[in-house]
Amino acid sequence: MTDAHTATMEAHWGGGAAPFGASWQKTMMWIFIVTDGLLFSGLLCGYGFLRMASRTPWPATPEVFSIPFIALMTFILITSSAFMASAVTASRLGDRKKAVLNIWLTIIGGAMFLGCQAYEWSHFIHDGARLTGALQGTKLGQLGVPVQFPASFFLLTGFHGSHVFSGLVILTITAIRSGMGKTPPQGIEMAGLYWHFVDLVWVFIFTLFYLLPS
Amino acid sequence: MTTTSGDHGQANPYKIYWVTWAILLVITVCMLLAEKLHMPPWVLIVFLLAFMMVKATMIGGTFMHLRFEKANLGVMVACGILVTSLILFTYITPEAWSVFAKTAR
Repeated sequence: MTDAHTATMEAHWGGGAAPFGASWQKTMMWIFIVTDGLLFSGLLCGYGFLRMASRTPWPATPEVFSIPFIALMTFILITSSAFMASAVTASRLGDRKKAVLNIWLTIIGGAMFLGCQAYEWSHFIHDGARLTGALQGTKLGQLGVPVQFPASFFLLTGFHGSHVFSGLVILTITAIRSGMGKTPPQGIEMAGLYWHFVDLVWVFIFTLFYLLPS
Repeated sequence: MTTTSGDHGQANPYKIYWVTWAILLVITVCMLLAEKLHMPPWVLIVFLLAFMMVKATMIGGTFMHLRFEKANLGVMVACGILVTSLILFTYITPEAWSVFAKTAR
């Protein structure tokens, strides 16, 4: 890494007092997180609209999904977040080996979560769910779920899953580069912020989509 | 680089994350078991939403280090997302009821 590049990466706000007492990288990351959070906020409000406006009663989610399985997915994601937080701290303390190990453990957790999501999607589709409603003569068709139900599910979990996938790509690059000593602790912190955001969004989806009573 | 999370000078700087992890799991289990208590629906909804916010605060505060940052960063994040969501939801709710009422006829 050149001196000029190092100086740029470590540069702090140069226009007087830093707005949030943070480096420009962290400030920009937080602004990105807020804008991405607004995307999910819009999606969840749209889901709320569809659910409230639906003439057909919203189904009880335990009749459609295995809630213990969804709880397992939540457990996996929260655990991966704890590993990521440990990775950030280890990198700050200069323990590169521990940081890289924790990033890889985070990646394993994220991959397991995505695997569980793929399994859940395949079951849901097998039960007759389509983006445009439920097929007649299938389990969901017999339950009489409103057309908005599978659409909301695919949209919310699909957007979240795509964020998990992006996070895995970012973390894999970060883990490889950190192992080579090319990513500074701040780079690991930025990747960590994104990963925790993905976990945070799941907390809302888990509660509002899976747990709220019909 | 400055340390904002107070990592140095602690006996075990990782402990806070695993304590938070354990609390998050306990809260998740409580949310799952709440349905079995046969509470009135509105009580269950308030209970679930309150615990959801507690979990979000813990993830944002501890895992994302917001509690160690300047307070205005946390205010920017919370106001940016939560207040906007609340305004959006407040505006769409009457519209959703209106659609529901029209289709019910």
